[in-house]
Amino acid sequence: MSITTRVARGLLATAAFTMVAGTAMAADIFVIGGKPDDPFWSRVKKGAEDAGIVAQAQGGSVTWLGPQNYDNLGPDAAELIRQAIDQGADAIVGPDWVPEAMDPAFEAVVDAGIPLVIYNAGGLDAADKLGAMNYVGAVDAKSGYAAGEYLGKAGKKNGACVNTLPGAANIEAFCTGFSEGIAAAGGEGSTLQLPATAFGDATAVAQAVRAHLLQNPDVDALFAIGDADTNATVSGIQQAGKAGQVEVCGINFNESILANIQSGSQACAIDQQGYQQGFFAVSILNNFVNYGVTIPTREILTGPGVIDASNVEQVIEGVKAGVR
Amino acid sequence: MSTQSSSDAGGFSIGDLIRRPETGSLIGFIVVYVFFASLGGAVFMGAPGWSSWLNIAAEVGIIALPVGLLMISGEFDLSVGSIIPASSMTAAILSGHYELPALVGIIGGLSVGLFVGFINGLIVTRTTIPSLIATIGSMFAVMGLTLGLAVLIKGSTSVSYVPDPVTKGLLGTFINGMFNVSIFWWIGFVAVYYFLVHVAPIGNWVFAMGGDRESARNAGIPTDKLTIGLFMASGFGAAFVGIAQVMTYQAAQVAGGQSFIFNSIMCVVIGGVLLTGGAGSIIGIVLGTMTFAVVNQGIFFAALDPNIGSIIIGALLLTAVLSNDTFRALAMNYATKKK
Repeated sequence: MSITTRVARGLLATAAFTMVAGTAMAADIFVIGGKPDDPFWSRVKKGAEDAGIVAQAQGGSVTWLGPQNYDNLGPDAAELIRQAIDQGADAIVGPDWVPEAMDPAFEAVVDAGIPLVIYNAGGLDAADKLGAMNYVGAVDAKSGYAAGEYLGKAGKKNGACVNTLPGAANIEAFCTGFSEGIAAAGGEGSTLQLPATAFGDATAVAQAVRAHLLQNPDVDALFAIGDADTNATVSGIQQAGKAGQVEVCGINFNESILANIQSGSQACAIDQQGYQQGFFAVSILNNFVNYGVTIPTREILTGPGVIDASNVEQVIEGVKAGVR
Repeated sequence: MSTQSSSDAGGFSIGDLIRRPETGSLIGFIVVYVFFASLGGAVFMGAPGWSSWLNIAAEVGIIALPVGLLMISGEFDLSVGSIIPASSMTAAILSGHYELPALVGIIGGLSVGLFVGFINGLIVTRTTIPSLIATIGSMFAVMGLTLGLAVLIKGSTSVSYVPDPVTKGLLGTFINGMFNVSIFWWIGFVAVYYFLVHVAPIGNWVFAMGGDRESARNAGIPTDKLTIGLFMASGFGAAFVGIAQVMTYQAAQVAGGQSFIFNSIMCVVIGGVLLTGGAGSIIGIVLGTMTFAVVNQGIFFAALDPNIGSIIIGALLLTAVLSNDTFRALAMNYATKKK
């Protein structure tokens, strides 16, 4: 089936749905996301909840469904999607982290006539394939590419992506994008894969980075896939005695990362602007369910934004204002 | 343990050596170390390699010691996984967010660990809930409280804190740029626990309790107080690691720490502690921790696929339990033949 017929079918389905929903006027929106205690996901959740204030004012609601841990990410998330359907969701927002495990559940959402927005992971390809209305988020490969390109242009020749969550599609895309980015700038990239048990343990990540740097003296750039991992990676570089020689960029940021960028121990941070992902995905669906209005622009990009020494002061102001 | 053999008049005896509970763990450690040293080469055998696995061993070791004692006494503690983030958040919020002196944050963090341990002990001694279930319950409760309070107080799930130089030097520095100061704390903990378990009478009480709780109580051992004390010790150990991590990485996260639950149990079991209680030793736990850390770090020096590390640790665990049974049977037979 071609993309156009899929879109046409989707439009027919949504038109039919709008007629049914015309009298409902209250959107119960279910958002599938990461663990609520994950620093990045707590910002996405805040965005979703802030958009939910409007939904609530209109008689609807926003419900956050997140897994307890990431040990069994794909099947757990698929289960959450099915829970959302069972609980009578009027609209669903979800990330396509592990397509093999999650796509059947997303297809069930579309088959049930529930409007769907894919966010955070998967890209427009996943949204088109699944018949979702839109994709809201950063494109993972582009985020990784931006970091690789940044470090490559800074004169780095050999970069490694510290993958603490092997198997998740978006993390693999970060790493692939990073390798392509640094290759485009004349360097080469590789991936340091950690066992899944290291995720969330700063010491395990730091020691793995350090061991890798000691065994591979050619590596002069690192790319970390989350803010806690970035702090641990910076510590690993220092313990290997390579501070100043090995530069690091990381996905996402927190106060200590901004301080590290100011002090020069971290080169750059890639911002996906998670707040925007939650906020816009929920807003698009709320407006659609309540009023049938759409956003014709497909693929709402919320990133990547590069934070480095040149703009870190602005970002710190943004944090103080509660925007980032 | 009596080292006096009835027949051989003193001197070195293979039988005595094999009868020592640590022998299996020592052999395991040597085999694993030699394996990774042959693959990892000079860097792994030098100071960078030693500091690399000792840093890992120190943190998990500080928790594995009291967790091991609990297992010797017949109890489990899974709540350590959420005490680590709870104590590091407490310390970071008190000292970082409210800008109180570092000592207040440290005492606050440690108190969280002691308190959760106290509650665990109360639940286990006052009800019939097995410790495995009780501490899973407290693990989730503490996890939820940490998340809820952090978001309530700080509005975010991570808190940054830059400690003063003295605090950082004592708890979160890298000596010679490599050796985490927690290695020395670990050595200190080992000394204290060794004294308690193998020198002071309290050690025999723990073993007796693991062997047969009813008989131990009838023999006049204050089993309830001792159990509560042991849970508080493991809460304290976990809280200590949480605080050391804040001082080292200068930020506390609500997540993290869960990996310590199984890692500490694995160290203890590889170290020869009997899962049903009543047998084990401090030296064994230390050796088990070192073996675990060597595998964990050796993988990166040996340039093997990290997933192979998990396979080796899994295999080690099974081998440890099997060989411990073998050594125990050997020790029993040896003793009977003597009579």
